[in-house]
Amino acid sequence: MSTAMNFGTKSFQPRPPDKGSFPLDHFGECKSFKEKFMKCLRDNNFENALCRNQSKEYLECRMNRQLMAQEPLEKLGFRDLINGKSEKK
Amino acid sequence: MGGLWRPRWRPIVFCGWRWSHPGSPARAAERVEAFLRPGWNGKGDAEWGLRWLGTWTRTSPPARDRAVQPPRRPKSTNPFTRAQEEDWRRRNKTVLTYVVAAAVGMLGASYAAVPLYRLYCQTTGLGGSAVAGHASDQIENMVPVKDRIIKVTFNADVHASLQWNFRPQQTEIYVVPGETALAFYKAKNPTDKPVIGISTYNVVPFEAGQYFNKIQCFCFEEQRLNPQEEVDMPVFFYIDPEFAEDPKMVNVDLITLSYTFFEAKEGYKLPVPGYN
Repeated sequence: MSTAMNFGTKSFQPRPPDKGSFPLDHFGECKSFKEKFMKCLRDNNFENALCRNQSKEYLECRMNRQLMAQEPLEKLGFRDLINGKSEKK
Repeated sequence: MGGLWRPRWRPIVFCGWRWSHPGSPARAAERVEAFLRPGWNGKGDAEWGLRWLGTWTRTSPPARDRAVQPPRRPKSTNPFTRAQEEDWRRRNKTVLTYVVAAAVGMLGASYAAVPLYRLYCQTTGLGGSAVAGHASDQIENMVPVKDRIIKVTFNADVHASLQWNFRPQQTEIYVVPGETALAFYKAKNPTDKPVIGISTYNVVPFEAGQYFNKIQCFCFEEQRLNPQEEVDMPVFFYIDPEFAEDPKMVNVDLITLSYTFFEAKEGYKLPVPGYN
């Protein structure tokens, strides 16, 4: 929360997330997918655009193991990745 | 009539006053009655009578009589119009009651508006944003703005009373507006007791924070860590494509996302704005 007590200046308003909170992965079921994603990030100089496949796979893992509400991938912004993996690397 | 104004008058004097005082209404009534008597064929036609009556209004009662207000009585003596006047009075009272009730109702509505609006926000899930349903349809259709690369850095803080090890797993990530991105934090509970934490976040610069949308994260809900447990906490977010069109955001290339964990005690509620 913003600590700037100035009256009149815009302060930060935290908003709750659109789809709520991720349940905690207590048993590390999707840890391997996470590791793949982190490795991809480190290799590509932390560019998110190049690692979207791995992030898609991590979210699919979560959905399969009841750690995330099932959502069609278009709604998560992965529309271009569903049709062909040739779109992006 | 005169008796009301001169209570201690003796009858004789009273009579004399009545006859001699031209302005008294009793005398005027007597004058009128003279015309109303059947068979009167006095000084002239009705016109003359009206003119003569008109003179009475000019010789209005003297000031001292006007100062003493008689108790409220119907303005006319005619029984039919009196009933009508009573009816008007009743109607006026009803209308006045309605108007006063409406005013009080408006005042009450203005007080009730605050909790009602909060209820409305909670049920419709708008939570302060004026546009409903912006979330999932927008994500489906948004197009990444490829030429605007933004660096998002991550920060992790912990309140002094919480003994977790909480840190981000990447220092920064490069995203473009309109593209969903995933980032990880890691938290470890090194104590021997389960600890429940709850977190909030902050985005700097503040104006860019309104474009920072989290699809799913781990904030604002209690997260329980068992003893010696370590978990990955993901944040799935995107930056609104309208960020690229905002002239105030032209110079913004760095956004910092900062999470802070607090210990959740019994009955502790994070002061989330708009939700109580």
